[in-house]
Parts: sequence; C-alpha cells; structure tokens
Amino acid sequence: MVDVMTPQTPQWWKKPDVKKTAILWVICTAVIGFVGVEFHVRSMVRPASETMSGVISLMRIFTWAAAPVAGLVGAMCITVLTSKRHYGDNPPAEADHEIRNSPRATALWVVVSGILCLFALVTGMIVLQQDNKAVLDTQAIQINVTGQQWVWNFDYANGARSQDLYLPVNKPVVFHITSKDVKHSFWIVQMGIKMDANPGYTTETAVTPDKIGVFDVRCAELCGLLHAYMQTKVHVVSQADYDAWLTAHAATEAGA
Amino acid sequence: MTTLTHKSVAAPGKSIIEKLNVFTALALGIITAVVVWRLSLAFLPQDADGATMFTREDKITLLSMCGWFVGFMTGIGALVGPFRWLMGKDLSHDENMFLAGQDMGPKRYLRYTTDHKVVGIQYLFITILIFFLGGGLAMLIRTNLGHATGGWIHPQAYNSIVGTHGILMIVGTIIMVTGPFGNFIMPIMIGARDMAFPRLNALSFWLIVAAAVPLMWGQFIGGISTGWSAYNPLASQAPLGMDGYIMYICIFAVSTMVAGANITTTVVKMRAKGMTWNRTPIFIYGTVASVALALPAFPVFFLSQVLSAFDRALGTTFYNTAGGGSGWLYENLFWIMGHPEVYVILIPAIAALMEMAPVFTRRPLFSFNVAIMGIAGISGLSALVWAHHMYMSGWAPLLNAPFMITTELISIPTGMLFLVLVGTLWRGRLWMTMPLMSIFALLWNFMIGGITGIYLSDVPADAFLHGSMYVTAHFHYTLMGAGLTGALASLVYWFPKMTGRMFDKTLSWVSFWLVQIGFNVAFVGMFAVGLAGQPRRVESYAPTFNTGNLITTIGAYTIMIGMLVLLYGVISSARNGVKAPKNPWQAKTLEWTVDYPIPLENFDVLPIVTADAYGYGKAKS
Ligand code: HEM
Ligand SMILES: [Cu+2]
Ligand SMILES: [Cu+2]
Repeated sequence: MVDVMTPQTPQWWKKPDVKKTAILWVICTAVIGFVGVEFHVRSMVRPASETMSGVISLMRIFTWAAAPVAGLVGAMCITVLTSKRHYGDNPPAEADHEIRNSPRATALWVVVSGILCLFALVTGMIVLQQDNKAVLDTQAIQINVTGQQWVWNFDYANGARSQDLYLPVNKPVVFHITSKDVKHSFWIVQMGIKMDANPGYTTETAVTPDKIGVFDVRCAELCGLLHAYMQTKVHVVSQADYDAWLTAHAATEAGA
Repeated sequence: MTTLTHKSVAAPGKSIIEKLNVFTALALGIITAVVVWRLSLAFLPQDADGATMFTREDKITLLSMCGWFVGFMTGIGALVGPFRWLMGKDLSHDENMFLAGQDMGPKRYLRYTTDHKVVGIQYLFITILIFFLGGGLAMLIRTNLGHATGGWIHPQAYNSIVGTHGILMIVGTIIMVTGPFGNFIMPIMIGARDMAFPRLNALSFWLIVAAAVPLMWGQFIGGISTGWSAYNPLASQAPLGMDGYIMYICIFAVSTMVAGANITTTVVKMRAKGMTWNRTPIFIYGTVASVALALPAFPVFFLSQVLSAFDRALGTTFYNTAGGGSGWLYENLFWIMGHPEVYVILIPAIAALMEMAPVFTRRPLFSFNVAIMGIAGISGLSALVWAHHMYMSGWAPLLNAPFMITTELISIPTGMLFLVLVGTLWRGRLWMTMPLMSIFALLWNFMIGGITGIYLSDVPADAFLHGSMYVTAHFHYTLMGAGLTGALASLVYWFPKMTGRMFDKTLSWVSFWLVQIGFNVAFVGMFAVGLAGQPRRVESYAPTFNTGNLITTIGAYTIMIGMLVLLYGVISSARNGVKAPKNPWQAKTLEWTVDYPIPLENFDVLPIVTADAYGYGKAKS
C-alpha cells in the first residue's frame, strides 16, 4: 500500500496531473467563491437592520470558507474527467496505479474540515450571543405580536393596536410573540429575524431597524388555508413620526 | 439440495395459502373497512352537544382504516403463518416452497411471496409508482407556482397537494435503494440464499401497499393540508384526511422496522464464509447503517402519530397547550425521527455509488476504512442534531448553540465520504457510463446541498432562512440531487442482474442529462427566491418572485421529461433490451457470479470469499 504523500519517481508534486489540479484548484476556488457570494448577495433582500447585514456578511464569509474545499473537489473532478476517458461496452484495462488509502491525506482532510467547522462555529456563536443579548434589553420598545389565522396583530405599550407594524428607526425593539390558534412564524424579511408564534407560549426576538421605509412581514410556518396571504407591512419611520402615530392610535384604540 | 425438489403445488383441494393474492386482499380489506364503518356508524355514541372536541367522525374514520388494514393483511396471507404457530404447527415444506414462488411466473408478484428477488422487484415497482404519483403532484405544484398571476388551484387543495407530495416522496426515497436493491441484490452480494426472515420480507413489502391506501383515501375526505411534517395543533384542526396520513405513517413505520430488523440480521448472520467485515462491500455497510438508523427513528414517528390520533379521536391534549400538552412535544418527536431519516435516505444512495466507483474507474476503493468511519460518524451524530429544525420554534433558545455544534460537526464525517469518492476517481480509468457520471453529479449536487446545510445550521443565518424556499431547495439538493441520483445509477447498474437485459445506453444518457440539468435549473431558481424572501408552502407570492419561480417551473418540466424517458427506458429495456452477459461491468462483487435467471436459492454452491471486492489493478510499490 502506497501513501499518496510519499515521493515517488518523480516527486508527487511534480507530476503533471498534480500540477494541473493545483492550478485548477486556484481557479475553481476563485470562481466558486465569487459566483457563490454574488449569487447569495444579489438574490438577498436589501438589509434594513444590522442583524440582516450580519446575515449577509455571514453568507459571504461562509461561502469563501467553503470555496477551497469545493474548489479542490471540483479541480480533481475536472482533471480526472479530462484524461483517460474510455467509451464502449467493455471496461478499460484496470488502473495500474494503486493508492488504496493514505493516512496522511485523510488526516489532512479531517484537520482542515475540523478547522473550517470550528471557524463556522465560532463565527456563528459570536453573532448568536449578540442576538440573544438583544432580547434582554429592558430599555427597548416592547411590542406584543399575536398571530391568528391569518392576520398579525401588534399591541404597543400605550394600548395602541394595529395590523401594520410601526417602528421608529434606530431604536431597539423586543417582540413578544404568541398565537391564538395554530403555529405561525413571525418573519420580518428585510430585518433578518424570525420567531415562531406558538399558542399558549410567548417567545421573544429583537431587532434594531436602521432604515426608514416599508418592509415585509410574512408568515413562515404553514398555518392552514390562507397561510400564503398572512403577510403585512412594517413601516419604519422617524422617531417624531412614530410618536405622532402612537399617540393618534392610542386615543382611538383605547376608546374602542 | 432437498429444498430444490419440485413438488406439484397445485394439488387438488388447494390449501388456503394458494388462494390468497392481492385481489383477495383488496376484497377482504374493502369488505372489512365497510363493515367496520357501518358498525361504528351504528354503535358509536354521538358527541355530546357541549363537547369541546368533535371526535366521532375521526373515530369512525380511524376504525374503518384499521379495518382495511386488518382485512388487507389477512387477505394477502400475512396471518397464515402466525395462526399456524398459535395452533402449535408451522407451514409445511410444500407451503414454504409455494410461498417462495418457485416456477410460478408473473403471478408470484401479486402474492405474499418470500423470495427476496421477487420482493426486490415488487419494491422497485412500488417505488416507481410512488415517484410517478409524487412527481405528478410536484408538477401540479410547479404549474400552479409558475404562473405569474398566481395560482389556479384552490388553497385547500394546494396545501393538500404539497403535503401529499412531501410524504409520498419521503417514503419513496426511503425505500428507493434499500427496497429494490437492498432486497434483490444485497443477499446475493453477501453470498446468502435468502434474507434471514423471508416471511418478514414479504410482510415489509405488503405493509407498504396496505399503508398507501389510507393516504389515497385521505385525499377524498379533506386531504392532508398540513405539509408532510403535519405539525400540531394544525393537524388536530385539519380535516379527516389527516387520519389517512396518521394510518399511512403508522403502517409504514412498522414496515420499516420489520425491514430493518430483517436486513440487519441477514447481514450480521448470513454473510458467506470468508466475508469478514473487512471484505464486506461498502454498499452493505450503507444499507445496514441506513436501516439501523431507521430502527430507533421510526418507533418515534409511530408514537408521534399515535398521540396525534389520540388527540383527534379521543380528545386527549398531548399537543394542545390549553389542555396541558405542547406542540413542541410533537416537533421534538417528529424531528427525532426526521433528521436521522434524511440520512436513512442518503447513506445507501452514496454507498451504492461508492460500490460503483471502483467498477467504473478500474481501481480500488480509496480508503475503505475512512468510508466506514464516515458512515458511522454520520449515523452516530445524526441522532443528536434534530433540533436544528427547531431553532426558531422558541422551544429552547439556550439549546440552539449545542445543536449548532452537533450539526456542524456532521460536516466532518460527510467530508470523509467526499474524500473517498474523489480519492477513488483520482487517476482512475474512467469508463464513461451513466453510473460513473452519476458520481460526478452526486459530488456536485451534494456539495451544494452540504454547504447550504452549513448556512442553515448557523442559527443567526437560519433566522433569515428558516421556513423559506431556501430550505426547500437545500433538501431537494440532498434528497434528490444526491439521493435520487444514486438510486437512478443503481437502477442502471443492477438492471442487468434484475432483468437479464442491459439498460439502453442512449436512453440512460438522455435521461441523465435532462434530469441533472433540469434539477439544477429548478433548484437554483428556488434558492434565489428563498433568499429574496419567499416562504415555503405558499400557493401565491409577491410579483418580485416571478422570475425565480418561472425558472424553477421550467426546470421541473425538464426533470419530468427526463424521468419519463427513464421510465420508457425501464420498460423498453426490460422487454427487448440487449441480453446481458453474466458480468457486464466486470465487477468483483458476488452478485455478478450468478447466472440469469437467478436460481431460487441463488447459489448452487455457496461461495467462499478470500478477498475484498476492490482488487482492481496491481499494487505498485
Ligand atoms: C452537511 C450536512 C447537512 C447539514 C449541516 C444540514 C442542515 C440542515 C438544517 C440546519 C436544516 C433546517 C433548516 C430550517 O428548517 O431552517 C435542514 C433542513 C433539512 N435538511 Fe439538511 N443538512 C445537511 C444535510 C442534509 C441531508 C444529507 C439531507 C437529506 C438527505 C437533508 C435533508 C434536509 C431536510 C429534508 C430538511 C428540511 C425538512 C423540513 O423542514 O421539511 N439535509 N438541514
Ligand atoms: Cu402561516
Ligand atoms: Cu436535519
């Protein structure tokens, strides 16, 4: 049994197919990384919160981290496919070169995938921890979200209630989410947050919108007949507009 | 061999065994169902006027379906053996020979036949049927979503189509490799005369047939409007069709457990002399890992549905928070089954391609040990990752980090499988055939499926991606791009052994490219709309998603054409394809040492194994 790493005549790294693969590896990595990142970033919605910007840069980083691995597999496949092809109804002669295993290649492969895995974990944990902390912010605006088949209701601290969500820009918000009937999932698309609405429980998620504009809330959990239509808008407005809206609605809603 | 003597089985005064077949089963099933239905209509008490839950109709439906099940299984002959045991006897030799289906022609495919080769073909047939039905539903979904101005299918019907498509395909992909090839090929590959428990083998197949009927029945009583995951409390609110889903899963779970016990025992106990674990082909490892994963997973699935049935029919509140239960209980039970299940699907398909890789590169499998470590690592870890499907459920936010760790760790053993495949291809002599190209297709598709899996396993990214079309595209890349690709390659590869004829080469190529290109077009489009914010399981969507959905629909039609070409290839090649030589691929596993038609007990003389099956080429050192 021969080790792939042990030098043969000539040294293994000087063999033409190895050289070809090495060049292809660089090219494949670059192409995969670039195309992968562009595909994700261009397809994704424009961010309306730092959370969402974070998600987008995570995708960027992960794609570039995965690109060398995918690139190596791709490069080896291309090298293999561009040499020694055999067509016909009978098999080609058996390959004379026999590498039945290679502890060193295996070890290297496992170590590299381990490191990548660790990297993904650490990156994920850091962001996760920030997201978790945001939920505990007592200074934040607190809004109760109630899903029911097939509308969203939003209750504000001063008693106002709406079916379109209103938020001031650059202020942290904590949502307390529940449901009246079956499971729904509260998703503010452009802000990159999502949390299920469970009947009988209250769950939390938090975000700080950083753009003025109108964004989408969609239900992300199949909840029956009109699930596809269970969507509404988020209006992110200036603090002044928000205060005005809130007082106007507190009056009407409280009286109703 | 005394067992091979020919006895006249059609002696006058046919025994009960000889009278039973699929038609008696259908008849008895229907009669019992109707009788139980009338009886329960007559005798079950009305729901009290003030009752909070109206459960009578669910009771009636479930009881009738149980009636169908008992009637069908009795009618097919599953109870003959157990009854004999009750009377302190067993089946006679003649009866066993009859059950094995010796010299009975095509009729044995319609009976409770115990020969593993017959069961394999039966499985192949039902797998094709399931894919045909499930694929038809997929085309309805894609046609509905392809239209820019939104759907033409009623939302209730649409939801039911989505759910039925999902659960049909899940069952189809679970059985697509271990069913046809695990039953037909596996025993020959290990040099055995049959499975360890031939009657259980027949049982596992006919249970699937029995299960399919309640699912179809459910379509006519409100459908399965909850998606394949059938989350509660939505499922307790759903129409009576849900009871069809429940019965389907319960019966199918039993079938899986029976098959799992049978396959595991066969491999452990019945390998040929000399076939040590080091010499056991990798496909066998894949099959065993798959059913071994299913063994603990499916009882949980069964349980989850039994509780669901209780909630619906008896007014219990296992999943109802108002009554002290919790929908999260259901989610946990479901995904404790659900994640291992995706590897139940994937592992045998990859293992089959690993089996083919040495054959079509004419060199040994690279690092047999690493392949086994990969399979074992995936199997072990996959029991510990289920809550990555529940990151956003709110169940236990503090457990998100640990589940993120276990999920991302799976990429290490998964990487090993890639290493084995590319290592085998490297410096191989490529024999350009459809199974060989399927290995490349799998590497491509599973790379995409695996990497997107890592994005999904990252909790903050999943907060955006969960519940979107991105998830749908991810699991189609793994289940279809990787799993189905392996199954189709297996079909072409083992076709000569199963039918005696070669699969038409041109048709295999045409269908391969249509399916693979269509697939990638379809699901890249789906990734894009997912990233743009389209939720899954919706029957209409915002205009921004038009282009992506149209692309997906075009891809889906391409897949459909490819699959129809494949189906045509199966039928035409089986009827008048080129007669296959004994070992058309010059492979070294045992199934290629037997002649077609394969004798009832496979080998006249049991083989003795002296080396592994990968000794291609000469060792150079
Ligand atoms: C590298 C390995 C993989 C990782 C890290 C991974 C990760 C994930 C994650 C985190 C989810 C949940 C996404 C969400 O709902 O928000 C998911 C969903 C899913 N994955 Fe994977 N996955 C991997 C491989 C596979 C394989 C091999 C299969 C099948 C053969 C598969 C099938 C599925 C299915 C069916 C779902 C969605 C189920 C549903 O919600 O209906 N995955 N995957
Ligand atoms: Cu919904
Ligand atoms: Cu999973």
